[in-house]
Amino acid sequence: MRTGAPQANDAQPALLGNGAPLRPEIQERDLQRQERFEDELIMDLERDQFVAETSRPVPPAVLSTRVKAGLWALRVFVVIVSLMVIYTFIDQLH
Amino acid sequence: MSTSEVAASPLLGQPLGQPRLTDEDLARSRDRSRVHHARRHSRHWYLLWLLVGPGILAMLGENDGPSMIAYAADGAQYGLGFFVPFIPILFVMAYVCQEMCMRVGAVTHRGYGELVLQRYGRVWGWFGAGDLTLTNLVTLVAEFVAIRVGLAYFHLGAGVAVALGLALVAFTLSGGRYWRWERIVLGLALFNGLFLVAAILVKPHFGAVAGSFDFSPFPGGSFNTLLLLLASTIGATVTPWMIFFQQSASADKGMTPRDVKHGRYDTAAGAVLAAIFGIGALIAGAALLGHGGAGIEGFAGAGFPEALSHVAGGAVGTVFALGLIEAGAVAILTISASTAYAAGECVGVSHSFNSSPRNAGVFYAANAGIALLAAAVILIPGAPLLSIALNANVLATVLLPVSLVFMVMLANDRGLMGAWTNRRSTNVIGIAVIAFVGLCGAAYGIDSFLQAIHLVGS
Repeated sequence: MRTGAPQANDAQPALLGNGAPLRPEIQERDLQRQERFEDELIMDLERDQFVAETSRPVPPAVLSTRVKAGLWALRVFVVIVSLMVIYTFIDQLH
Repeated sequence: MSTSEVAASPLLGQPLGQPRLTDEDLARSRDRSRVHHARRHSRHWYLLWLLVGPGILAMLGENDGPSMIAYAADGAQYGLGFFVPFIPILFVMAYVCQEMCMRVGAVTHRGYGELVLQRYGRVWGWFGAGDLTLTNLVTLVAEFVAIRVGLAYFHLGAGVAVALGLALVAFTLSGGRYWRWERIVLGLALFNGLFLVAAILVKPHFGAVAGSFDFSPFPGGSFNTLLLLLASTIGATVTPWMIFFQQSASADKGMTPRDVKHGRYDTAAGAVLAAIFGIGALIAGAALLGHGGAGIEGFAGAGFPEALSHVAGGAVGTVFALGLIEAGAVAILTISASTAYAAGECVGVSHSFNSSPRNAGVFYAANAGIALLAAAVILIPGAPLLSIALNANVLATVLLPVSLVFMVMLANDRGLMGAWTNRRSTNVIGIAVIAFVGLCGAAYGIDSFLQAIHLVGS
């Protein structure tokens, strides 16, 4: 596991322990290492698995009138039965 | 990109160019790299270890406080007959439903809430989220009550139950990684086996347990009591939160179509363990048959642990009480997570344990918020906790058919699922489950209502 490696959104100017900036060639090497690390990580995800991909909505399905009517009938039925259960629950409290 | 894995879903198969990486992608990718490594090197057991989680958590999460009390109450009132074979049948039903959730999550990489909302319209998505929030809130109250019942055996009060539940939620949310959350909850969930230990400690007659598989004696009592038993036992096995949870967790874990086989092992293992532990609670409860067990009001004080310690010894009471604390605690974590997934998916914002609280504020707020709300309810003096707890499973059963219908529709959606759509046999069983659950829930709801308004006698 490569948990100690830098992350993409952590990309800050590299500093030494005393707060002084690193030499440019070291910064460059770190950036290259980070890019290589990210490339390796990308290899482990499927294309449609990235957050950028899953954030895209799927197209809506076209439901027939009969299916829509069936879904609404089930919905109304379930709401009515739920109200009966809630009424019974409140009635039991008294 | 992994070229060996083709996009399974026709509608999701046209990706953008180079995607912008997020912290969530990086965290998930690390988990996936271990899976790929294990697969490349044929480390089968390690691969299984990496891929199990959502199925076991969904099934053992549903072996929650009210469910285990319900099983013990069935045993105390009716003995082993009928329920010993009935519980495995219910978990077979649960497997059929949960396998669909896992498969849809692995193929589409999206949660149930967002797929229903985007594919079938906002109205259906929000209806589903509303049902889930209502049943989850009621169930979470029951989970805190279960922890309270368990702690009462050790002379600890409601304040400790609330503190314990909320501390666990805060601790598990603090890691910023799905993997960490899953492993902690999985570790806790295995203590559901305490109910099996309780069953062994009561020294049951194993011949009687084996003999009870002939479904006899059938439970007696009124028609309404039988319906209540069926509705609450079904509600103890399959519920709306499990559907939301397993699909979203499978996507959050980063499962892909190549992992479906292991996802099935995971779900089957969860169903088998949950059935065994559920029967364990039933057998432990059956020790009270003929010792006034039928008279125990499930949540009135520390009824079952106390009664068991008198009849079968202090060790049984202690183990049963610890089991109730575990069952309530694990369910608080999984049910809160399902609420958080649904909230993030319906609002359309980041919804992953791999995101930080700053990037997924709605997800973390919903997770902690619903647990806080439920905890607040049990601290209200004189709140009808017993009635809430007993009705939690019934309400979940009544609302379940709509969630299941959309689940079957998603699993048959060729545009989303490609070659991974349901087989005909899965559809036949799925529709039979919906019809059975719908009939039991509706029959109990209507019969109880008619009794409440005195149109029929009890």
